[in-house]
Amino acid sequence: MASPTLPQGKQIKEPGDIVRGFEQHGYITDAALGTVVFLGTKLGKPVLLEGHAGLGKTQVAKVLAEFLGAPLIRLQCYEGLDINSAVYEWNYQKQLLAIKIEERTNQTVEEKEKHIFSREFLLERPLLQAIQTENVSPVLLVDEVDRADEAFEAFLLELLSDFQISIPELGTVKAKHIPHVILTSNRSRELSDALKRRCLYHWIDYPDLEKELKIVSARLPGIEQELNRQLVSFVQSVRHLHLNKSPGVAETLDWAQALMALGKHKLDQDAVEATLGCLSKSVEDAAKIKGAGIEKMVASVGQ
Amino acid sequence: MEEETLAAGLEAAKRITEFCRFVRAEGLSAGVKESVTALEAARAVGIADRELLRLALRSVLCSSKDEWDKFDDLFWVFFRDVERDKSRRKEAAGSQKKDDRLPESAVSTFMGKSGATGEQEDGGRAVVGAATTERLKRADFSQVQQKDLAELERLAVRLLRQMSLRLSRRMKIMQPRGRVDLRRTIRRSISRGGDPIYLSFRNKKLQQDRLTVLLDISGSMNAYSLFLLRFAYALQKHFKRVDTFLFSTQLAEITPMLRSRDLYQALFALGQVSAGWSGGTKIGESLRDFIDFHGRKLLTRNTLFLILSDGWDTGEPEILAAQLDAIKRRVRKVIWLNPLLGMSEYQPVTRGMSAALPYIDVFAPAHNLESLLDLERHLTRS
Repeated sequence: MASPTLPQGKQIKEPGDIVRGFEQHGYITDAALGTVVFLGTKLGKPVLLEGHAGLGKTQVAKVLAEFLGAPLIRLQCYEGLDINSAVYEWNYQKQLLAIKIEERTNQTVEEKEKHIFSREFLLERPLLQAIQTENVSPVLLVDEVDRADEAFEAFLLELLSDFQISIPELGTVKAKHIPHVILTSNRSRELSDALKRRCLYHWIDYPDLEKELKIVSARLPGIEQELNRQLVSFVQSVRHLHLNKSPGVAETLDWAQALMALGKHKLDQDAVEATLGCLSKSVEDAAKIKGAGIEKMVASVGQ
Repeated sequence: MEEETLAAGLEAAKRITEFCRFVRAEGLSAGVKESVTALEAARAVGIADRELLRLALRSVLCSSKDEWDKFDDLFWVFFRDVERDKSRRKEAAGSQKKDDRLPESAVSTFMGKSGATGEQEDGGRAVVGAATTERLKRADFSQVQQKDLAELERLAVRLLRQMSLRLSRRMKIMQPRGRVDLRRTIRRSISRGGDPIYLSFRNKKLQQDRLTVLLDISGSMNAYSLFLLRFAYALQKHFKRVDTFLFSTQLAEITPMLRSRDLYQALFALGQVSAGWSGGTKIGESLRDFIDFHGRKLLTRNTLFLILSDGWDTGEPEILAAQLDAIKRRVRKVIWLNPLLGMSEYQPVTRGMSAALPYIDVFAPAHNLESLLDLERHLTRS
């Protein structure tokens, strides 16, 4: 399969280039993710990112687009997503008007039909846009693909293998440049084997202490080191509590911002209790954290 | 010189292909096409750096978290660095045992030839041994094929099939007309000069429900579980998805076995699963396992959650209540079938059952065929 076209002057020779490039754009990552993205661009294969919510899956596509200087096209999947909102739709209002305007002309039915089903009346949705971009391969982000239903997944599979879309009224549109495709999934349902096998797979896990410290200071440059260390260690220990929804990196960042906004310089029990809503998104989880003893946990990260 | 590098390249390609075959035999889903991709990937990152090669091959050959977790061990077993072994040999001179785990032996192990195996493999075998003993307990399962049961069985299959047909038909009648489909309407109106005389409609596709069934197979439930199993099997045709689990003290998924077209094949395959047949019951803990491992996938707003159990729980009722609460908030309906409910003097006062009651939408008996068929009305959308 052909590989995506990189912008002029951009060269990616090894996975390290990706890791360094991402870091320059404020995304701390490791060799594993670097390798997957590298292979994705090199072999022209879609990359499937799975992992819990809030660990920066979507961000990968955004940063890749920034890094490459390529446009980012995003398709957010949801239950009931159909071809009309994902690929293309005809502009019906405009078509109806055109029919009225042309009523008195001597055009034949065929001519009229040809006119109102021309490009002028076509609304391009993300997937069609993605294969129509000029000059350079765009980054196509298919976000939360597990939320779309199986029928759509099958369509996506076809698109990802041929990179062409057929519109009955217009004919087949073939990709000018193969896009860099990033799919993300929260594993709310199992994706089909066929789709998974077409993709390079990467599981994004919770970062370790060191990496999370780096992420927080990269994203929130103003944060004090001591506070950063304490709150990240706290979050890391909360992840061991088997909550219904363990806090992701997004929650850590939210929390750090909240603590900074409150003018805290170090973690204490009151501060944690006041801002617990940033970490736990349900009453049960909050109760679990409290049950584990906030004071004790603060003390253990305090030294 | 050139020939040498070529030969080395070929050798490497061969090893990678062998590795692909190895992981396939170990249960990864990667097919032949992935082997080709694996070679391309190896070429892209080079083979000098083992770590990089591992990352690259992992992204190609894995397609789920399970496989992802399994991969590293497989990789290191196969690509045990010759150099590493050398250094290790220096460190522990005389320890010949390590040498047995060179790649060749790893390959022959999975190929089924018996050879020298390491500690890991031995550990695995011990587990298998324990499972075999447990599996022997399936005996009471196959005893069901008694003469008087055969007639009842036939009847059950027939009636359940009828019921599942009736369910399907009911769905159709309830479809409303839906919204105007502009695309088709305009298309059809052109031949009439653009006036949309006939409107085309389209409709939201009716979401089919999913059914998740948890069957209690502890000692007290044996006789009933078997019929409920048939019930679950019959329902598969009607629902978009039926996931079936067995539990007693632990949880076991049997969905793939029930997919078999033939009920008897399915029952036979089931005999191979063991989840501590006929032991005690820990409903709460089993439900917690279910939420942890399958909850994200199966607990949706389209899910009907069906539990068959008599509620004799040896675990803590608080745990059971908490889990049921968590489940109830995520699914459409919680149905609890209790065979004891068929007895006139039964009161749901066992600790487990009374803890569970507040979280149950439908509490119904399931002691005979009639009561099962009666469930029909709870399984349709109204």
